Amino acid sequence: MSEMSSHWPDPFPVVEGSAIGIIPNPMSGRDIRRIISQASVFPNTEKASMVLRILRTVGTLGVERVLLSTDTFGIAAGVHREIKRMSGARSTAHVRWPKVEFLTLERPTGTATDTTAFAETMAGQCSAAVVLLGGDGTMRAAVPGLGDTPMLALSTGTNNAFPVMIEATVAGMALGMIATGLAPEPTAHAKLLHVEVTRANGGVQHEVALVDVCVNTLGEIGARALWKADSLRELYCTFAEPHSIGLASIAGRLRPTGRHEPRGVAVRLADPSVAAHTVLAPLAPGLLESVGVLGSTELQLNVPHPVELDRGTIALDGEREVEFGPDDAVTVTLAQDGPRVIDVPAVLAASAPAWPTTRVSP
Amino acid sequence: MTQTLSTLGSDAPDASALSEAQLLDVYRTMRSIRAFEDRVHEEFATGDIPGFVHLYAGEEASATGVCAHLDQDRDTIASTHRGHGHCIAKGVDIKPMMAEILGKTTGSCHGKGGSMHIADLSKGMLGANGIVGGGPPLICGTALAAKIKGDGGVGVAFFGDGASNQGTTMEALNLASVWNLPAVFVAENNGYGEAAASTWSVSADNIADRAAGFGMPGVIVDGFDVFAVYEVAGEAIRRAREGGGPTLLEVKFTRYYGHFEGDQQTYRGKDEIQNAKENLDCLKRFRKRVADSGRLTDAQLDEVDAQVAQLIEEAVTEAKAAPVPGPEDLVTDVYVKY
Repeated sequence: MSEMSSHWPDPFPVVEGSAIGIIPNPMSGRDIRRIISQASVFPNTEKASMVLRILRTVGTLGVERVLLSTDTFGIAAGVHREIKRMSGARSTAHVRWPKVEFLTLERPTGTATDTTAFAETMAGQCSAAVVLLGGDGTMRAAVPGLGDTPMLALSTGTNNAFPVMIEATVAGMALGMIATGLAPEPTAHAKLLHVEVTRANGGVQHEVALVDVCVNTLGEIGARALWKADSLRELYCTFAEPHSIGLASIAGRLRPTGRHEPRGVAVRLADPSVAAHTVLAPLAPGLLESVGVLGSTELQLNVPHPVELDRGTIALDGEREVEFGPDDAVTVTLAQDGPRVIDVPAVLAASAPAWPTTRVSP
Repeated sequence: MTQTLSTLGSDAPDASALSEAQLLDVYRTMRSIRAFEDRVHEEFATGDIPGFVHLYAGEEASATGVCAHLDQDRDTIASTHRGHGHCIAKGVDIKPMMAEILGKTTGSCHGKGGSMHIADLSKGMLGANGIVGGGPPLICGTALAAKIKGDGGVGVAFFGDGASNQGTTMEALNLASVWNLPAVFVAENNGYGEAAASTWSVSADNIADRAAGFGMPGVIVDGFDVFAVYEVAGEAIRRAREGGGPTLLEVKFTRYYGHFEGDQQTYRGKDEIQNAKENLDCLKRFRKRVADSGRLTDAQLDEVDAQVAQLIEEAVTEAKAAPVPGPEDLVTDVYVKY
């Protein structure tokens, strides 16, 4: 507790039962785009610092408990070490940390399924919200685990259209306000793209994407990232902002569509050498490419779109994830059944009246 | 020459561009490495192999995916103490390799080198290397030679997570960047330097992260997926060939055997190897992927397996029948005339 609190009432007493979850993805941001363009490298030490800034903020705001995912890359270990160091130093001993529970998985895989499993555990342990630090892929991996628990998506990845770049302290303020009941939870659900692949043997594979689904001619998942303009054929977007990066930027240049509009965008693409016209779009950081365009249209909710290409791969939020061939039937459907997403500026604006102020002199 | 954005990523080699013949080659190389290592494991247990052997089983996708982009005449590789896979992937003949490991005169180095010194300069294979971190500086040499000759040659240094902490490796990364050499550094992170976990011994989060400090790109790739390695290595090698400079790749996977044969591996998790073999194995994944997409049939792959098995059998039989070096060989092959 701060020295002030011995003279003034604590403006944010600890709220019993309040909790949030934090999942920093240790693997984000090291893919092939470092070779093909000047994509950024986001160090794990910075992710640990972001977690600490969130912890310190929500602790100050009275959140009782934080569930933190653990990893073998030093993020959770760095957080643990720093809290211990700060608690033992006279200058920082007053910082009120929440009770941090370090979650472990019985059988970690080192893949995206760990993110799903952590999200599920946190959702099941009454977290008011789960904050994810990562890229579009990290956010997508969390969706099946979160259920109805609100998510806050902070960008630390390469090619991010979905998570936002916002200071972790400010994100922590929004989380703290929600967790302690001073701000309402988000009610609206984000849009989600559903991909259904019906295999020749009758098996059905279901995948989701938060930002874009891109059907392309590359036959292999390979290095996953997708940046070759001449391979792109069909693009489906939940939203397309003029300032987005990655595949959705194509639609963002052609037919800007907001995150909260009840529609998406579909774009038919072709090799730029044969297309009627081209659009210059930032397919990866530093990589403006000419993309061949045949046409674009509004994507209506709940209408399945059959994929026309007969062989290739499907990229979900910019990463090739599904291979398909002529015997497989693929459909893409936009729905309003994604996660509830915390909009930090909106939460802070709405909760301003609840933000306590204290008198400076008695 | 520097790369411009407009030339990047335009006609990059992607894994889908592999023809049927190339797919079969990739599979044959990986299967050859696996069968070779499994057999050496068996032979070592009988006591017939002199010296130490360090086996590459489990790591096949790395050497195979990288070397598939390399020419025998102008491209060079430097290897490690765990070098059999690199040798096979770079085209060193299997029979002389097996003879070398058994210490016979028909071996790649006339039976005087053994497992950790197999070399074949005619194939651009500078040698397995008992010095941890010995390979990267050699590659700066061959990459500089290629740059001066202007033949488009590329040097690739394979090294492990242990070697990533060696001064020689750091110096080589720095020199390659300063001289803008056509070099690719492949850090094969199998999780352990001998018995020390790389999560403990490597100070950075990832070996690839160190690239930033040397002014080059650093990329992590799934070492169990030959298609992923092939695509990433293809970009890095093309970049080097075209004058774009060096790249650091970190290939993450695990080894199926110990650090050396006889290692009790008390430092490893109970299910670690079994899990990798069942769920991650590069050969199993390759077979499933090409069969699912209808590009190769099980019959085609089984035929490769049978051919490889026969070749390994012949290599062992012939090597065992070959003579060991005699006293008269003691002072031959010591000096090289330039």
